[in-house]
Amino acid sequence: MPVDPRVIVLVIRAREGDQDAWDELIERYAPMIWSIGRRYRMDRPDIDDVAQTVWLRLVESLADLHDPGAVGSWLATTTKHECFRTVKARRRQDSMEQTLDFDMTADEQATMVEQELETAERNAILRAAFAKLPPTCQRILLLRIEGISYEEIGARLDLPIGSLGPKRGRCLAKLRDDPALNALILAEIGAPGNE
Amino acid sequence: MSDMSENWSEEVLLAQIAEALEAADAIPHDFVEAGKATFAWRTIDSELAELAFDSDLQDHQDLIRSEPAPLRALTFTAPRAAVTIEIEVVDGALLGQLVPEQAGEIHIVTRTGHDTSAVIDEVGYFLISPMPVAPFRIHCQTASGVNMSTNWITL
Repeated sequence: MPVDPRVIVLVIRAREGDQDAWDELIERYAPMIWSIGRRYRMDRPDIDDVAQTVWLRLVESLADLHDPGAVGSWLATTTKHECFRTVKARRRQDSMEQTLDFDMTADEQATMVEQELETAERNAILRAAFAKLPPTCQRILLLRIEGISYEEIGARLDLPIGSLGPKRGRCLAKLRDDPALNALILAEIGAPGNE
Repeated sequence: MSDMSENWSEEVLLAQIAEALEAADAIPHDFVEAGKATFAWRTIDSELAELAFDSDLQDHQDLIRSEPAPLRALTFTAPRAAVTIEIEVVDGALLGQLVPEQAGEIHIVTRTGHDTSAVIDEVGYFLISPMPVAPFRIHCQTASGVNMSTNWITL
Protein backbone atom coordinates (compact mmCIF):
# COMPACT_ATOMS: atom_id res chain seq x y z
CA MET A 1 0.00 0.00 0.00
CA PRO A 2 1.48 3.38 -0.98
CA VAL A 3 2.22 5.87 1.79
CA ASP A 4 -0.49 8.50 2.14
CA PRO A 5 1.45 11.80 1.95
CA ARG A 6 -1.02 13.18 4.47
CA VAL A 7 0.69 11.11 7.17
CA ILE A 8 4.04 12.76 6.49
CA VAL A 9 2.45 16.20 6.70
CA LEU A 10 0.77 15.29 10.01
CA VAL A 11 3.97 14.03 11.60
CA ILE A 12 5.93 17.09 10.53
CA ARG A 13 3.22 19.43 11.81
CA ALA A 14 2.90 17.51 15.09
CA ARG A 15 6.66 17.79 15.52
CA GLU A 16 6.26 21.52 15.38
CA GLY A 17 3.67 21.37 18.14
CA ASP A 18 0.47 21.40 16.09
CA GLN A 19 -2.27 19.87 18.24
CA ASP A 20 -4.71 19.55 15.31
CA ALA A 21 -2.20 17.44 13.41
CA TRP A 22 -1.69 15.29 16.50
CA ASP A 23 -5.45 14.88 16.89
CA GLU A 24 -5.72 13.74 13.30
CA LEU A 25 -2.97 11.17 13.85
CA ILE A 26 -4.88 9.88 16.88
CA GLU A 27 -8.13 9.66 14.93
CA ARG A 28 -6.34 7.86 12.17
CA TYR A 29 -4.62 5.23 14.30
CA ALA A 30 -6.73 4.89 17.47
CA PRO A 31 -9.02 2.35 15.76
CA MET A 32 -5.94 0.29 14.91
CA ILE A 33 -4.68 0.24 18.49
CA TRP A 34 -8.17 -0.62 19.67
CA SER A 35 -8.50 -3.50 17.18
CA ILE A 36 -5.07 -4.90 17.89
CA GLY A 37 -5.86 -4.83 21.61
CA ARG A 38 -9.09 -6.67 20.95
CA ARG A 39 -7.25 -9.24 18.85
CA TYR A 40 -5.04 -9.83 21.89
CA ARG A 41 -8.29 -10.35 23.82
CA MET A 42 -7.54 -7.54 26.21
CA ASP A 43 -10.23 -5.76 28.20
CA ARG A 44 -10.83 -2.04 28.17
CA PRO A 45 -8.50 -1.00 31.03
CA ASP A 46 -5.61 -2.93 29.50
CA ILE A 47 -6.26 -1.46 26.06
CA ASP A 48 -6.36 2.00 27.65
CA ASP A 49 -2.96 1.38 29.23
CA VAL A 50 -1.47 0.10 26.03
CA ALA A 51 -2.83 3.06 24.07
CA GLN A 52 -1.51 5.58 26.59
CA THR A 53 1.92 4.01 26.52
CA VAL A 54 1.96 3.93 22.73
CA TRP A 55 0.84 7.57 22.39
CA LEU A 56 3.36 8.74 24.96
CA ARG A 57 6.11 6.87 23.13
CA LEU A 58 5.02 8.62 19.96
CA VAL A 59 5.06 12.02 21.68
CA GLU A 60 8.59 11.24 22.80
CA SER A 61 9.70 9.86 19.45
CA LEU A 62 8.13 12.39 17.07
CA ALA A 63 11.36 14.31 16.66
CA ASP A 64 13.43 11.18 16.09
CA LEU A 65 11.17 9.31 13.71
CA HIS A 66 13.51 8.51 10.87
CA ASP A 67 10.74 8.05 8.31
CA PRO A 68 7.59 10.09 9.07
CA GLY A 69 5.65 8.17 6.43
CA ALA A 70 6.22 4.98 8.41
CA VAL A 71 4.60 6.29 11.57
CA GLY A 72 1.71 3.84 11.14
CA SER A 73 4.08 0.94 10.97
CA TRP A 74 5.98 2.27 13.97
CA LEU A 75 2.72 2.55 15.92
CA ALA A 76 1.62 -0.95 14.91
CA THR A 77 4.90 -2.47 16.06
CA THR A 78 4.91 -0.52 19.31
CA THR A 79 1.30 -1.55 19.96
CA LYS A 80 2.07 -5.19 19.29
CA HIS A 81 5.00 -5.03 21.68
CA GLU A 82 2.97 -3.38 24.44
CA CYS A 83 0.04 -5.76 23.98
CA PHE A 84 2.33 -8.73 24.20
CA ARG A 85 3.91 -7.36 27.38
CA THR A 86 0.50 -6.76 28.94
CA VAL A 87 -0.82 -10.17 27.97
CA LYS A 88 2.30 -11.77 29.43
CA ALA A 89 1.89 -9.90 32.70
CA ARG A 90 -1.79 -10.87 32.91
CA ARG A 91 -0.96 -14.46 32.18
CA ARG A 92 1.39 -14.58 35.15
CA GLN A 93 -1.18 -12.96 37.41
CA ASP A 94 -3.99 -15.26 36.34
CA SER A 95 -2.05 -18.45 35.83
CA MET A 96 -3.60 -20.08 38.88
CA GLU A 97 -7.15 -19.51 37.70
CA GLN A 98 -7.09 -20.02 34.00
CA THR A 99 -4.93 -20.97 31.12
CA LEU A 100 -4.27 -18.32 28.56
CA ASP A 101 -6.78 -18.22 25.75
CA PHE A 102 -4.41 -16.29 23.53
CA ASP A 103 -2.39 -18.58 21.36
CA MET A 104 -1.33 -16.84 18.16
CA THR A 105 2.12 -17.64 16.88
CA ALA A 106 4.61 -14.83 16.36
CA ASP A 107 4.00 -15.02 12.61
CA GLU A 108 0.25 -14.87 13.05
CA GLN A 109 0.64 -11.85 15.32
CA ALA A 110 2.84 -10.08 12.77
CA THR A 111 0.34 -10.78 9.98
CA MET A 112 -2.60 -9.69 12.12
CA VAL A 113 -0.90 -6.41 13.07
CA GLU A 114 0.01 -5.76 9.44
CA GLN A 115 -3.61 -6.28 8.40
CA GLU A 116 -4.88 -3.98 11.12
CA LEU A 117 -2.44 -1.31 9.99
CA GLU A 118 -3.55 -1.62 6.39
CA THR A 119 -7.20 -1.41 7.43
CA ALA A 120 -6.50 1.70 9.51
CA GLU A 121 -4.66 3.40 6.65
CA ARG A 122 -7.30 2.63 4.06
CA ASN A 123 -10.17 3.60 6.36
CA ALA A 124 -8.45 6.89 7.17
CA ILE A 125 -8.07 7.65 3.46
CA LEU A 126 -11.73 6.82 2.84
CA ARG A 127 -12.96 8.91 5.77
CA ALA A 128 -10.75 11.86 4.82
CA ALA A 129 -11.98 11.79 1.22
CA PHE A 130 -15.56 11.60 2.41
CA ALA A 131 -15.08 14.43 4.92
CA LYS A 132 -13.87 16.72 2.12
CA LEU A 133 -17.16 16.40 0.24
CA PRO A 134 -19.70 19.21 0.49
CA PRO A 135 -22.33 18.55 3.20
CA THR A 136 -25.10 17.85 0.67
CA CYS A 137 -22.94 15.22 -1.02
CA GLN A 138 -22.22 13.61 2.32
CA ARG A 139 -25.92 13.47 3.16
CA ILE A 140 -26.91 12.02 -0.18
CA LEU A 141 -24.23 9.34 -0.06
CA LEU A 142 -24.98 8.44 3.58
CA LEU A 143 -28.64 7.98 2.70
CA ARG A 144 -27.63 5.86 -0.30
CA ILE A 145 -25.48 3.75 2.04
CA GLU A 146 -28.54 3.23 4.19
CA GLY A 147 -30.36 2.04 1.10
CA ILE A 148 -32.84 4.92 1.06
CA SER A 149 -34.67 5.44 -2.23
CA TYR A 150 -34.21 8.56 -4.35
CA GLU A 151 -37.82 9.55 -3.69
CA GLU A 152 -37.20 9.44 0.03
CA ILE A 153 -33.83 11.22 -0.22
CA GLY A 154 -35.46 13.92 -2.32
CA ALA A 155 -38.17 14.37 0.27
CA ARG A 156 -35.78 14.40 3.22
CA LEU A 157 -33.30 16.83 1.71
CA ASP A 158 -35.97 18.86 -0.07
CA LEU A 159 -34.32 18.33 -3.47
CA PRO A 160 -36.06 17.56 -6.78
CA ILE A 161 -35.80 13.84 -7.51
CA GLY A 162 -34.59 14.48 -11.05
CA SER A 163 -31.53 16.29 -9.74
CA LEU A 164 -30.46 13.50 -7.42
CA GLY A 165 -29.06 11.11 -9.99
CA PRO A 166 -26.67 13.61 -11.58
CA LYS A 167 -25.86 15.12 -8.19
CA ARG A 168 -24.98 11.72 -6.79
CA GLY A 169 -22.80 11.08 -9.85
CA ARG A 170 -20.90 14.32 -9.27
CA CYS A 171 -20.45 13.48 -5.60
CA LEU A 172 -18.99 10.09 -6.46
CA ALA A 173 -16.72 11.63 -9.06
CA LYS A 174 -15.44 14.11 -6.49
CA LEU A 175 -14.82 11.28 -4.08
CA ARG A 176 -12.86 9.33 -6.68
CA ASP A 177 -10.85 12.40 -7.58
CA ASP A 178 -9.40 12.62 -4.10
CA PRO A 179 -5.70 11.95 -4.74
CA ALA A 180 -5.17 9.66 -1.75
CA LEU A 181 -8.30 7.64 -2.48
CA ASN A 182 -7.37 7.49 -6.13
CA ALA A 183 -3.94 6.14 -5.24
CA LEU A 184 -5.56 3.59 -2.96
CA ILE A 185 -7.94 2.37 -5.63
CA LEU A 186 -5.14 2.20 -8.20
CA ALA A 187 -3.00 0.19 -5.81
CA GLU A 188 -5.84 -2.23 -5.13
CA ILE A 189 -6.86 -2.85 -8.70
CA GLY A 190 -3.14 -3.24 -9.39
CA ALA A 191 -3.40 -1.96 -12.94
CA PRO A 192 -1.50 1.27 -13.51
CA GLY A 193 -2.30 2.72 -16.91
CA ASN A 194 -5.44 0.64 -17.23
CA GLU A 195 -8.14 2.56 -19.09
CA MET B 1 -7.52 10.44 -13.04
CA SER B 2 -11.03 9.32 -12.26
CA ASP B 3 -11.14 7.09 -15.35
CA MET B 4 -8.97 4.51 -13.68
CA SER B 5 -10.99 4.62 -10.50
CA GLU B 6 -14.13 3.46 -12.24
CA ASN B 7 -12.99 -0.03 -11.35
CA TRP B 8 -14.53 0.47 -7.95
CA SER B 9 -18.25 0.50 -8.63
CA GLU B 10 -20.56 2.82 -6.75
CA GLU B 11 -21.64 -0.08 -4.55
CA VAL B 12 -18.06 -1.01 -3.68
CA LEU B 13 -17.06 2.58 -3.04
CA LEU B 14 -20.06 3.29 -0.80
CA ALA B 15 -19.59 0.01 1.06
CA GLN B 16 -15.96 0.94 1.74
CA ILE B 17 -16.96 4.38 2.96
CA ALA B 18 -19.60 2.85 5.21
CA GLU B 19 -17.08 0.42 6.65
CA ALA B 20 -14.53 3.19 7.28
CA LEU B 21 -17.08 5.40 9.04
CA GLU B 22 -18.32 2.49 11.14
CA ALA B 23 -14.76 1.58 12.17
CA ALA B 24 -14.30 5.07 13.60
CA ASP B 25 -17.72 5.10 15.28
CA ALA B 26 -17.04 1.76 16.95
CA ILE B 27 -14.25 3.24 19.09
CA PRO B 28 -15.27 4.83 22.41
CA HIS B 29 -15.09 8.60 22.23
CA ASP B 30 -13.08 8.89 25.46
CA PHE B 31 -10.51 6.42 24.13
CA VAL B 32 -9.75 8.81 21.28
CA GLU B 33 -9.87 11.88 23.53
CA ALA B 34 -7.36 10.34 25.96
CA GLY B 35 -4.99 9.88 23.04
CA LYS B 36 -5.35 13.50 22.01
CA ALA B 37 -4.64 14.62 25.58
CA THR B 38 -1.25 12.90 25.62
CA PHE B 39 0.09 15.65 23.38
CA ALA B 40 0.27 17.86 26.46
CA TRP B 41 3.21 15.75 27.64
CA ARG B 42 5.19 17.05 24.71
CA THR B 43 5.73 20.33 26.48
CA ILE B 44 6.87 18.68 29.67
CA ASP B 45 10.57 18.70 29.12
CA SER B 46 11.36 15.56 31.04
CA GLU B 47 12.97 12.31 30.12
CA LEU B 48 10.70 9.30 29.91
CA ALA B 49 12.00 6.67 32.30
CA GLU B 50 11.93 3.12 31.03
CA LEU B 51 10.52 0.26 33.06
CA ALA B 52 13.58 -1.80 33.95
CA PHE B 53 12.13 -4.25 36.44
CA ASP B 54 8.64 -5.47 37.29
CA SER B 55 8.18 -8.04 40.04
CA ASP B 56 5.07 -9.31 38.23
CA LEU B 57 7.13 -10.18 35.21
CA GLN B 58 9.82 -12.06 37.09
CA ASP B 59 10.17 -15.76 36.54
CA HIS B 60 8.75 -17.95 39.24
CA GLN B 61 12.20 -19.07 40.29
CA ASP B 62 13.07 -15.54 41.22
CA LEU B 63 9.93 -15.19 43.25
CA ILE B 64 10.90 -18.02 45.55
CA ARG B 65 12.96 -16.21 48.09
CA SER B 66 13.44 -16.22 51.79
CA GLU B 67 12.34 -12.65 52.47
CA PRO B 68 8.69 -11.72 52.17
CA ALA B 69 8.33 -10.08 48.77
CA PRO B 70 6.55 -6.76 48.43
CA LEU B 71 3.17 -6.84 46.70
CA ARG B 72 4.67 -5.21 43.68
CA ALA B 73 8.02 -3.65 42.99
CA LEU B 74 8.89 -1.63 39.92
CA THR B 75 12.09 0.01 38.78
CA PHE B 76 12.36 2.72 36.16
CA THR B 77 15.55 4.04 34.69
CA ALA B 78 16.25 7.24 32.83
CA PRO B 79 19.47 6.58 30.92
CA ARG B 80 20.18 10.18 30.00
CA ALA B 81 19.79 11.41 33.57
CA ALA B 82 21.49 8.22 34.84
CA VAL B 83 18.87 7.90 37.55
CA THR B 84 16.80 4.97 38.72
CA ILE B 85 13.53 5.22 40.54
CA GLU B 86 12.33 2.24 42.55
CA ILE B 87 8.81 1.97 43.89
CA GLU B 88 6.98 -0.63 45.91
CA VAL B 89 3.63 -1.00 47.54
CA VAL B 90 3.93 -1.18 51.31
CA ASP B 91 0.96 -1.18 53.67
CA GLY B 92 -1.31 0.60 51.27
CA ALA B 93 1.22 3.31 50.56
CA LEU B 94 3.66 3.89 47.76
CA LEU B 95 7.27 3.89 48.90
CA GLY B 96 9.97 4.96 46.54
CA GLN B 97 13.62 5.78 46.27
CA LEU B 98 15.75 7.64 43.82
CA VAL B 99 19.17 6.18 43.05
CA PRO B 100 21.69 7.77 43.29
CA GLU B 101 20.23 9.39 46.36
CA GLN B 102 19.25 13.02 46.03
CA ALA B 103 16.58 15.40 47.28
CA GLY B 104 13.78 16.78 45.18
CA GLU B 105 10.07 16.77 44.58
CA ILE B 106 7.80 14.06 43.24
CA HIS B 107 4.45 14.46 41.52
CA ILE B 108 1.90 11.72 41.06
CA VAL B 109 -0.47 12.53 38.23
CA THR B 110 -3.57 10.43 37.65
CA ARG B 111 -5.28 10.11 34.31
CA THR B 112 -7.94 12.57 35.34
CA GLY B 113 -5.18 15.10 35.89
CA HIS B 114 -5.22 14.96 39.69
CA ASP B 115 -1.76 15.89 40.96
CA THR B 116 -0.32 14.88 44.35
CA SER B 117 3.14 15.99 45.33
CA ALA B 118 5.59 14.78 47.97
CA VAL B 119 9.08 15.62 49.08
CA ILE B 120 12.00 13.41 48.14
CA ASP B 121 14.29 13.47 51.17
CA GLU B 122 18.08 13.84 51.08
CA VAL B 123 18.60 10.08 50.82
CA GLY B 124 16.20 9.85 47.91
CA TYR B 125 13.17 8.42 49.71
CA PHE B 126 9.57 9.46 49.19
CA LEU B 127 6.27 8.15 50.47
CA ILE B 128 2.83 8.64 48.94
CA SER B 129 0.08 7.66 51.34
CA PRO B 130 -2.56 6.58 50.66
CA MET B 131 -1.69 4.83 47.42
CA PRO B 132 -2.54 6.92 44.40
CA VAL B 133 -5.42 5.73 42.26
CA ALA B 134 -4.07 3.80 39.31
CA PRO B 135 -3.20 4.40 36.61
CA PHE B 136 -0.81 7.20 37.46
CA ARG B 137 2.47 8.63 36.31
CA ILE B 138 5.40 9.73 38.38
CA HIS B 139 7.15 12.93 37.53
CA CYS B 140 10.21 13.86 39.52
CA GLN B 141 12.50 16.81 39.64
CA THR B 142 15.59 17.16 41.78
CA ALA B 143 17.86 19.99 42.83
CA SER B 144 20.65 18.45 40.76
CA GLY B 145 18.59 18.87 37.60
CA VAL B 146 16.99 15.46 37.14
CA ASN B 147 13.67 15.82 35.34
CA MET B 148 11.95 12.58 34.45
CA SER B 149 8.55 10.96 34.08
CA THR B 150 7.39 7.40 34.00
CA ASN B 151 4.78 5.90 31.78
CA TRP B 152 1.35 5.11 33.18
CA ILE B 153 1.68 2.74 36.08
CA THR B 154 -1.00 0.22 36.98
CA LEU B 155 -0.40 -1.69 40.18
